Amino acid sequence: MQLSDIFKVSDDVVARELSGETVLLDLSSGMYFGLDTVGGRIWSLLSHEPRTLHEVADTIEAEFDAPRDRIVADLLSLARDLRERELIVERSD
Amino acid sequence: MTGLVIGESRPQTLLDDVPYDTWVSPDGACVAQFHRRGDRYLLRFPHQADFALEPISEAAGYHVTAWPAPGCPERVVRNLYRNAILPILGNHSGGLFLHGSAVSIVNEAGNEGGAIAFLGLSRSGKTTLAGAFAKQGHPFLTEDVIDLRLRDGTYWLEPKSSTLRLFHDSAHHLLGSDLKMPEIDEKHDVDGGSTLPFADEAVPLRMLFVLGTDQGAPLSLRRYSPPEALAALLPHAFILDVEDKSRLRAHFSRMADLTEEVACYALDYTRDYAELASVLNAVLTTLRPD
Repeated sequence: MQLSDIFKVSDDVVARELSGETVLLDLSSGMYFGLDTVGGRIWSLLSHEPRTLHEVADTIEAEFDAPRDRIVADLLSLARDLRERELIVERSD
Repeated sequence: MTGLVIGESRPQTLLDDVPYDTWVSPDGACVAQFHRRGDRYLLRFPHQADFALEPISEAAGYHVTAWPAPGCPERVVRNLYRNAILPILGNHSGGLFLHGSAVSIVNEAGNEGGAIAFLGLSRSGKTTLAGAFAKQGHPFLTEDVIDLRLRDGTYWLEPKSSTLRLFHDSAHHLLGSDLKMPEIDEKHDVDGGSTLPFADEAVPLRMLFVLGTDQGAPLSLRRYSPPEALAALLPHAFILDVEDKSRLRAHFSRMADLTEEVACYALDYTRDYAELASVLNAVLTTLRPD
C-alpha cells in the first residue's frame, strides 16, 4: 500500500459518531467496529469523496499535533486493516 | 396492516431454497428461518408455524397469513405474531422495537418514575425480572417486546400484553401459594392483576439494561458508553430483511439516536431466585439520582 493509493468507504458500511468514537457497522456481515477520534476523522475524510492517503495524511497533520512519520505509519496501518475487512475499497484511477 | 389470518394447519415440508437469514437460540437451536418469495417473505418457526408476509403498499404494510404446524396450538401462533412478526414489521416500517421486557418504576413518593427495560436473549430471565419488579409494586409494561415511540424528544415505552408468560418455577417463585397451574415444561400465561400489576399506559423510557449471557456471573452493573450501548443493543432488534441495506442504515441511525438519549447498562447476575432481591436493589439504586 502506498500513500498515492486512492480509497473510498464501502457502500456496505454505515457509520455514526458517538461520544468521540466512530462506530462502523458492516451491513454485509453484521460486524461492528470502533474507531478513535483520529480514526474517525480519517473515516470521515474517505466517506466524503475518494482520496489518496497522501491527502488524508496532510489533513490529519494539519489538524492533530503529531509528527508526520507517526501519522503516516498509523494511517497506513489503519488503511490496511480497513481494506482487509473490506470496509474501504481502493479506486483504480 | 390487516392483522393476522390463520390458515389450516399444514406440515412444514422441506423448502427448496436456503434461508437468507436464520435466528438461532443461545443453545444453538433454530428459532426461525427467513425465505424470500419475490417481494414476499416466508418466515418459518420450526414445529410451530409458517408465516407469509405479502406487501400491500408502502403505507399499508403487509398481509400476514399463518399456517400452524400440526399440533401447534393457536395461542402459540398468536404469541409468535405478537412477539415476533409485529415487531419485525414495526422495525421494517421505521419503528423501534427491541427484544425485552419492561416495567414502570414507582418512586419512593409513590409517583411514576419512568420505565426501565431489560434486553436479553431467549431464556435470559427478562420475564422473571419484570415479574419480580411487578411483585414489588412496579407494574410491568411488556414481557417480550419493547415498542418505543419518539415523541417531543422523549422515548415512550408502549404497554403490550397484560400477560406474563412464565415457566412453572418462575411462576411459583413469583406467585407462591396463589399459583394454580399444572407443572409442565412450557410457559404459562399469568395475567396481570393485584399480585403482578400491569401498566396500561405508555411511560417515558429512563434506562436500558442488557442482561449478560453468563447465568452464573456475580451481580454487576456497568454503564455502557454510547458506542458500547449501540453494539450491545443491535443484536436485540427485530430485522425482517438483513439484505435491505437502506432499511438497515435507517435502523442503525434510530438505534444510535436512542443510545445518545437513554442510559444503557450491562447487567450480570446469577440466575438464582435467591439473588433476585439483590438484583432489584442494585437496579433501583442505579435509578436514584446522585
